[in-house]
Amino acid sequence: MSETRFSSREIVRIDFRSNVQHVPPHMPPSVQKATTKFLGTRASVVDLVGDEQWQTLRQAGHDLRLHTITHLDYYLEMLEENVTKAGGHVHWARDAEEARRIVLEIARGGSRNVKRAVKAKSMATEEIGLNHFLIDAGIQTLETDLGEFIIQLAGVGPSHIIVPAVHLTKEGIAALFREKLGVDAPTDPIQLAAIARAKLREEFLAADMGISGANFLVAETGTLVIVSNEGNGRMCTTLPPLHVAVVGIDKVVPDMESLNVLLKLLPRSATGQKMSAYTSFITGPRRTDAENGPQEFHLILLDNGRTRILQDEIARETLLCIRCGVCLNVCPVYNNVGGHAYGWAYSGPIGAILVPQLLGTEVAGDLPFASSLCGACAEYCPVKIPIPEILLRLRHRVVEGDPVGGPSASPLLRVAAEVGGRTLGQPWLYELGTQLLKVIQIPLRKDGWLPNLPPPLNRWTMSRPMPAFGADFRDWWRDRTPEGRQHNVARKIGLGALVVGLITLAAWLLARKKSR
Amino acid sequence: MTTTPNPAREEILGKVRMALLRRIDAPVPPVPSSTRVPSRIPGAAGVEIELLLNEIRKLGGHTRRIAQRDEIAGAVAELVRAEEINKATTWETAELAELGMADILRGLGVELVSPHAGPRRLAECDLGVTSVDAALPETGTLLLRSTPERPRLVSLLPRVHLALVRPSALRADLGQAFADVRNDGYFVFVTGPSRTADIELTVTIGVHGPKALHVWSTELS
Amino acid sequence: MTQAQLFVTCLGENFFTPVLKDMVRLLERLGVQCELPEGQTCCGQPLYNSGFISQTMEPARQWLRVFGRTQGYIVAPSGSCADFVRHRYPELFPEGTREHAQAVETAARTYELTEFLARVLKVQDVGATFPRKVTYHAACHILRGLGLRQEPKQLLQAVRGLELIPLPEEETCCGFGGIFSVVYPEVSRAIMENKVRNIQASGAQVVVVSEPGCLMNIAGGLAQVGSPVRAMHLIQILASGGGAD
Repeated sequence: MSETRFSSREIVRIDFRSNVQHVPPHMPPSVQKATTKFLGTRASVVDLVGDEQWQTLRQAGHDLRLHTITHLDYYLEMLEENVTKAGGHVHWARDAEEARRIVLEIARGGSRNVKRAVKAKSMATEEIGLNHFLIDAGIQTLETDLGEFIIQLAGVGPSHIIVPAVHLTKEGIAALFREKLGVDAPTDPIQLAAIARAKLREEFLAADMGISGANFLVAETGTLVIVSNEGNGRMCTTLPPLHVAVVGIDKVVPDMESLNVLLKLLPRSATGQKMSAYTSFITGPRRTDAENGPQEFHLILLDNGRTRILQDEIARETLLCIRCGVCLNVCPVYNNVGGHAYGWAYSGPIGAILVPQLLGTEVAGDLPFASSLCGACAEYCPVKIPIPEILLRLRHRVVEGDPVGGPSASPLLRVAAEVGGRTLGQPWLYELGTQLLKVIQIPLRKDGWLPNLPPPLNRWTMSRPMPAFGADFRDWWRDRTPEGRQHNVARKIGLGALVVGLITLAAWLLARKKSR
Repeated sequence: MTTTPNPAREEILGKVRMALLRRIDAPVPPVPSSTRVPSRIPGAAGVEIELLLNEIRKLGGHTRRIAQRDEIAGAVAELVRAEEINKATTWETAELAELGMADILRGLGVELVSPHAGPRRLAECDLGVTSVDAALPETGTLLLRSTPERPRLVSLLPRVHLALVRPSALRADLGQAFADVRNDGYFVFVTGPSRTADIELTVTIGVHGPKALHVWSTELS
Repeated sequence: MTQAQLFVTCLGENFFTPVLKDMVRLLERLGVQCELPEGQTCCGQPLYNSGFISQTMEPARQWLRVFGRTQGYIVAPSGSCADFVRHRYPELFPEGTREHAQAVETAARTYELTEFLARVLKVQDVGATFPRKVTYHAACHILRGLGLRQEPKQLLQAVRGLELIPLPEEETCCGFGGIFSVVYPEVSRAIMENKVRNIQASGAQVVVVSEPGCLMNIAGGLAQVGSPVRAMHLIQILASGGGAD
């Protein structure tokens, strides 16, 4: 699996099983350290709110986000009007390529000739592969969130949405700093952070352009809300003379008041904080030259498949997501494989529903099946996205096709499902099957178990034995009454005859084959 | 409003409307009332201040309650010594002027840099002093606006940030803080010093923002 | 007299005859008259969950043919099957059709066994004796699908001689997930092994798993490492009397 940053141009079909087989052994423990910590801190702050109030907040968050995306055109126009009134420029990007092109045009427009850009953490910019594109175009583009900075140096994608470099050890990071920054780096996290602080401070001060995403876009006032902890978000959006924000159209909220609920849900769910260290509210460029802040502000509204997601009444709830990452933290699958296995910018349960819808099931059809449907994600999601429901919807699309491409389920599986469906509709065939299995299994049976089965069932027995087939209940039930007992005798004779007949047939065929 | 038609805009909005089966200018119901949470009811000012400072301390901030005007100079002197302050910059709000912050610092031999100086000059400062436009006790959060008297960089670039809170700045919750600033071009909620846990989940205080946050309440009559 | 139509489930029938027998014994002990409708096969959930919705129709129709003509409660030893019938069957058939009406009618009286005991019969003490150290795995459909968190444990706590021990990560999935276990076997195994480790760490002699698929998975996992811990369905413990294993 390629470990370079994701760009939608380079996407080939995501092979989840293969990715899983290549997960390095240190990945699950590192990831689990992070998820356990975040779930622990989350539990204490949710306890403070109290379960009843928390459930009320979740419902409020859900209703708010659903109201917004079901009237999205209205709120997008309101947002555009208000950003423009505040002196900002609004651009619309239908896809990743258009978004990248717009950023470059802004960087090179007018008398500008941006050479150095600093970036705050933004999943949308990962999605469109902005960094590589700008770097190729000769613009130095530096991640400034510490975790993103580290993985940019390492040339890998994020393993967790909140702590993208959690899979790297302090020794590994120190070595990376030594190699890429040419500094003497001790293996102490605090000193490593200090090295990054010093290096990036210089970059903040010299940058021509700051690039960010946004956690929310407030339609009523034209405001970007950025939730962060390190201060790099403030630096990127205050120091450079030009600020460009790339934000998915699904990030809109109606008004300031909406943040009451959403800012209670987001930091608590993500990291177990009551509020993040810095929550910035940015409306347009600076108002006067006597203030700090960028002279020019551009907002690029990104579609990139979101309008297509809106089409399906249930699947559209994918767009409620506020990117807190709690679904990753509780997911047993994610906890055992980490973020890279999902093959693109978004991982965990949200990745399993968002990526197939943005990229299509022909590319990402493996992902809706990367779930045991345990439902923990839906239980924890602060905006109550019905993730298992959407996963099932997408599995259906893998079989039947979706707005982007045709069906992608394997023909063998399709045949098996047809046969299975028909058999289960015929009770005599089903019952015959249950009795035959008891006979067929005899050579494979060991102490009440079937430890080794042929493919595809070896996928089960490679990890644990299957219990032996033992469909005796109906016999036992019938034995409780005299008529039932008679019925049983008749059935046994019939089945015995059938088995003898089949064995005779098989022997005869074998003899014929040998004599040829 | 755009005057020249923008094909990308029209296409995106068109797709949104089609997906939602909404006509242009179709009516929109108000935001459902189920999405609004009731306002928090605050306690007495003294209790709220203690709650605020307690939350800030939990996050690694340093706090102090100043009850008399003549305590301020001494408190600043202690801070200057403890944090080795040589250069400082301050907001130019009436509140800080009234406290005589600039004079106190000068009196201690601290070099004062104008808050309107260039970023590199401000980055050299050891201390940035601001007042606070609102304070939210429940979460230990401070609201800082951005105006010509309140340059953003004063609370961002220097190594240490000192924030002075008057009881009149107290707000019960986020919703009530918005009332003052909804039309502003920029404001930031600051909750504790800057932090990261990106390297092996070890918490580091003071990453890109100030390394230390000091918050003093000034409950002067 | 309360009547229960036994919905044995495909996994229950093929792998867990002892559990089904205990279900009958338990229900009869509680004064419930059991019937076994002929012709039942599988509710179709494995097909639906694999994305094969049109192929689910035949098993679903067969199920309705069998149970639609019955009276009384329909009781299954599986939360996922009961949940599937309740929530999906009405969706599978267009409104206004006879099948839809049948689906709605039968859904309203279909229960998983623990649910039936807690919410219909409203019993906690079923007169069982089982002097063992027992720990409880919260199967996902029972916990999140049916909302049964305390009820199974209350039933266990009323069993004479039974010592209920907490299970670390009790609410974490066992890794079965139906087809998930064969589509992504490596991940399924990792999740299952974690569950087995937790079970061994709990110090229990028995782990209760109220879901046939999960029971297959966990029992197999324990056998794979040669663990003496026994995996049992809740029904088997509740049907026990006199301390017999």
